[in-house]
Amino acid sequence: MSQIDRDDKLITAASALSTEISPEQDLWPGIAEAIARPQRSRWIPVFAQAAAVVLLIGASSSLTYFAVKDQQQIIEVVPSGLVFEQASFGGRYALGVDYQEARGDLAAQLDVELARLSPEAREEVELNLSMIRGAIAQINEAMKDAPDNALLQELLVQTYREELALMQRVGGLTQHVMSRKDI
Amino acid sequence: MEALLTATASDYSPQMVALNKPEIMDEADWIARAQRSDTRAFESLYRMHVDKVYGLCLRMTGNVSEAEDCAQEAFIQAWNKLDRFRGDSAFATWLHRIAVNAVLGRMRKSKREQDRIQVAMETLSSPASIADTGELRDLSDAVDRLPEGARHVFVLFSVYGYSHDEASKMLGIAPGTSKAQLHRARRLLAQQLKTEGFEV
Repeated sequence: MSQIDRDDKLITAASALSTEISPEQDLWPGIAEAIARPQRSRWIPVFAQAAAVVLLIGASSSLTYFAVKDQQQIIEVVPSGLVFEQASFGGRYALGVDYQEARGDLAAQLDVELARLSPEAREEVELNLSMIRGAIAQINEAMKDAPDNALLQELLVQTYREELALMQRVGGLTQHVMSRKDI
Repeated sequence: MEALLTATASDYSPQMVALNKPEIMDEADWIARAQRSDTRAFESLYRMHVDKVYGLCLRMTGNVSEAEDCAQEAFIQAWNKLDRFRGDSAFATWLHRIAVNAVLGRMRKSKREQDRIQVAMETLSSPASIADTGELRDLSDAVDRLPEGARHVFVLFSVYGYSHDEASKMLGIAPGTSKAQLHRARRLLAQQLKTEGFEV
């Protein structure tokens, strides 16, 4: 008998093997129990996605909070006369011209706006801005060692946004909102 | 809301009469009902297909306990994925794919245990061979003694009639590998059967 004949015979014999075999015990009770336990629902993946987003936002917010909190402890707050430095982004990247201009305009008019505020309000604004700018300086410093660290980049963008938002609240001068495109 | 509250039984009577008619359901009806989370319809599908699914699991694992677990897992997976079944292939084929995945997943998880089972099986008669008679029982025993990869391809290609393309997709291997494994399976089977003095 040739190899081909033997193979053909083997395949023919194999195709005659039973394809349907009854299990020795009924498997349905186990299946019924399993499918009854968690009700089959399509919202679970959506819920999981939403939970992931909430977790991400929570983690991001917590990081920002703790970063700013830490800055609060180590940064010497400038009591009066705010230090305005050119916005930077860790050395490797540059911030967009539009954002730089908007920030420059806001900073230039900030003194005028601050003069209109009560001494208490002015002190509070200056304190907050000092904290934010201190945080920006610290993050920029950290980014010199890790310019492509996405977490630090996001934190810096967020902190610049906070600075801009605070200056906007004081002056209400511009509608420009920083986005990642400004980097 | 008020309209719903004031509706009487007679408003719904046509549907109620229809449901009370003796039902002659085909597979598509059961699938449609199961897709609407009807577990009784799914049980009917289970009864229709359990022998095919369990048979495949038993041929692929060569172990009763493993095959039972895999078949159960396959039906649980099928229930969870039922809304994705669009009828592009036969329901039995769709179930087979899920069953193959269940077997492969289980084997990956308990590789060491499988090896132990493999060794133990060498001295035992194949559980799948109970379904076969005469020379086929010998062949069934020999198939069960094949190495895992060769056995999977041989079972899908030679026993269940899937093409190399279909078998390779189910097993997550290249069609060339499927062909090579089949060649290996044939060679090993011929050796085994010859050694044992059987003429296939």
